Amino acid sequence: MTDSEKLDAALAELQAFLGERATATPMHRMAYSRDWSPRFRDMTDLPDIVAVPHNTDEVVEIVHVALKYELPVIPFAGGTGMGGGVVAWKGGIMIETKGMNKVLEIDPDNMSVTVQAGITIWELNEHLAPHGLWLPHQPESKRACTVGASIGVDNDSTFGVRYGKILDCLTNIVVVTGRGEAVRMGHRKASFSSTGYNLMHLFVAAEGTLGVVTEATLRVVTLPKTRQVRGWVFPTLIAGARALERTLASGLSVESAHLNCRQRLHFYTHAYREKYHREPEIPDWAESILFLSFAGDEDVVDFGLRKARQILEGEYKGELVREQEMVEGYWDSKHRLDFIAFKQKWPDSQREKKFGSADVGVPMGRLEEMYHAFLEISAKYEQQILGMTVYNESPNKVSPSISFAIFVDDSTEDKVRNFFGYVREMSLKAVELEGTMSTYIGDGDRLGGFNIHEHGLSYEYMKDVKALFDPKNILNPGKKFESRWIEP
Amino acid sequence: MADYPTLQAFAEDIYTCNRTRCGFCTVECPVFHVKRLETYASRGRMLAARGLLEGVIEPSAELQAVMDDCLMCGYCQARCALNNLDIFASVRQELRAAGFSSPKHEKTAIKILEQGTLFDRPAPFHREGTTPLYLGCAYQTKPHEVRTIVSVLEKVGIDPLVTDEVCCSYIVGAVGFADEFEQAQDRFRQVYGPHLDGEILTVCPTCTATLHGEYHLAAKHALIVVAERLADMRIKPLDMQVTYHDPCHLGRMLGVIEEPRQILRALGIKVVEMEHHGVFSTCCGGGGGLLDVDRNMAIEVSKNRIRDAVAVGAKTIVTACPTCQPTLLRGAGRLANELGYFVDVLDLWELLDKALD
Repeated sequence: MTDSEKLDAALAELQAFLGERATATPMHRMAYSRDWSPRFRDMTDLPDIVAVPHNTDEVVEIVHVALKYELPVIPFAGGTGMGGGVVAWKGGIMIETKGMNKVLEIDPDNMSVTVQAGITIWELNEHLAPHGLWLPHQPESKRACTVGASIGVDNDSTFGVRYGKILDCLTNIVVVTGRGEAVRMGHRKASFSSTGYNLMHLFVAAEGTLGVVTEATLRVVTLPKTRQVRGWVFPTLIAGARALERTLASGLSVESAHLNCRQRLHFYTHAYREKYHREPEIPDWAESILFLSFAGDEDVVDFGLRKARQILEGEYKGELVREQEMVEGYWDSKHRLDFIAFKQKWPDSQREKKFGSADVGVPMGRLEEMYHAFLEISAKYEQQILGMTVYNESPNKVSPSISFAIFVDDSTEDKVRNFFGYVREMSLKAVELEGTMSTYIGDGDRLGGFNIHEHGLSYEYMKDVKALFDPKNILNPGKKFESRWIEP
Repeated sequence: MADYPTLQAFAEDIYTCNRTRCGFCTVECPVFHVKRLETYASRGRMLAARGLLEGVIEPSAELQAVMDDCLMCGYCQARCALNNLDIFASVRQELRAAGFSSPKHEKTAIKILEQGTLFDRPAPFHREGTTPLYLGCAYQTKPHEVRTIVSVLEKVGIDPLVTDEVCCSYIVGAVGFADEFEQAQDRFRQVYGPHLDGEILTVCPTCTATLHGEYHLAAKHALIVVAERLADMRIKPLDMQVTYHDPCHLGRMLGVIEEPRQILRALGIKVVEMEHHGVFSTCCGGGGGLLDVDRNMAIEVSKNRIRDAVAVGAKTIVTACPTCQPTLLRGAGRLANELGYFVDVLDLWELLDKALD
């Protein structure tokens, strides 16, 4: 059979059980031709077929068709990834998972919810709110990002410093593996299990290369009654990090903690100046800004805030940001998402240049070194700096997940490749500083193969894991072990 | 590179969306919510538009059908600062130039151009008075509703003047008939000429938005005037609990969000808000001519809007639009068996007429 004949036959078989929900029409393929990652202007990766299953059984059938005709299968979800994780650069069947968006069970007694994995985080929280519950895994992309996408890339969460990330919420998942079998893995509704192997963990950040996640059971928590957000500036980056560590060590429950460099601080002061036509009273010595939120009962939140001020201002000489509107503006962009895309003036507009990021992670003590490397490497590659944000994503710990963001000139292929040169060097530096190349974007189509510099011999075991779950290498090929941008 | 002059004018907006993919417009788009396929949401349509510009895709009946499956409700545009609706109208215009347009839309445009009206209607309603009141095609087919509106206006001290009128032709422009829309505007100005320089009261949200935004006339929705005068009126309170559905053109596009709620509260009615309301209200299903080209989709959207009301415990929806009310009633009827009860949909003018002495 020629490739074309295979595709025709596969489409016919898919349409036999999906009807119009399987299509090879160019306009539908075009709608799935990219994600949020830097691409040059007219770069297009068209999948061959787009399929919209409504349940696990249909995904099983799709994978059987893909196995029969040896076609790639790429699960697509929020489409907001910044690393090319859902880009079908090897063609194949794009599975639009957002057709699986049902809430299967809300179980308030057990603080648990079971969903189809294509539901967005935003939609899920709308379902949970009437029960006084919420899923605290909250990526900034939550309007579009699905539960399955969060599992697929292990993305960021605004509230990670209190609740962790998606893995801290998961108790079990259903996955359709590359063998065409639906497998439930995890520990039912229990919080942990020490029986067998924790296979579920393998699927977090697997980017659909081991299986298509179709269902998930998640622990949820009670919606807080009140929340307070504040910002403090510090004379150095590490002072902000040390002050946060001390605040957590005091026993306070901090709900979110984001530490930003001087450039990012200027991003917020600029937004404030534009909106309120006033100069914020930020001291010249400020080299970092730490935003914290506290949530819960009002008296506890009030106490937490008072105690935090004692530590941050008394012990670490931080200064409280007086312009609370600036802090609320930050919170609008991180949590409430109460802003209109593209309406902001520089530097928040993506009309001329788009955001791009090296999303490395380093241990707390190497933050300053990594920041200075960021300044040097971005200058070397002539990248315009947006700034550094340190997210903390592990409960009650300073646990840097860092965005080293820049404005990418994506007008030509050479310029986009130059951006990936910046990512390459930043990644190597992070590994040198005992860190990791990626903390929330994933390998995508950029770090596969190159990530051997981080993993060494364990990379070979990863290949065996891949072969176990996906023996014919049909699941999201071109990811994890191969890159189109960065040579190993 | 294909040549699409009107679409090319929006190229930078299209590429800006393409390189971003924030997805703020996607899941809550009423049509995407039914289809769950990116091509039916704004950011997918934007990629399709780029596909046309770059020659990756060609004009086709299938693309036209997808583009017609849009309510032009503006939800995506409220979440974005790009010119989404103009771009979609432009794609439709280019598709039509390439020979692809809905026969239903063609028929509608011809009818409006030949007869000056969107719908067959009974004898035109006329009334002598002092304040120009433009009813629009939908209300012109509803003599009972028009009498109710006039009654309310009289009670608040307005003496409406209803004269000859022709269709505002919103739908002609929205579905991509740009030249025809200009012709229709010329005729409107001829017929309604004597009243163009002063304030015109309007009652249809779509006509109001069109006269205001496209014709640049001093069109003012009559509910705003009623809300201003209500404090001086004697009111028989209505003991009800309702939710209010913001018509897209009235709420999102004209910003008339507080006034209808103010009126409801003044009538003694308790208002429970749906999750999506005000600027971010979702469409009833009747927008953008969708009822003409994909009735099933329109009904599914309408049913979802009824579900929004049910989710907050409302059994009565109030709205203020001659399209929203019947469309929502259709959805409520289709959903009644599933729910086990019928969600009623009332017109705000009707409640006003009952409560005003």
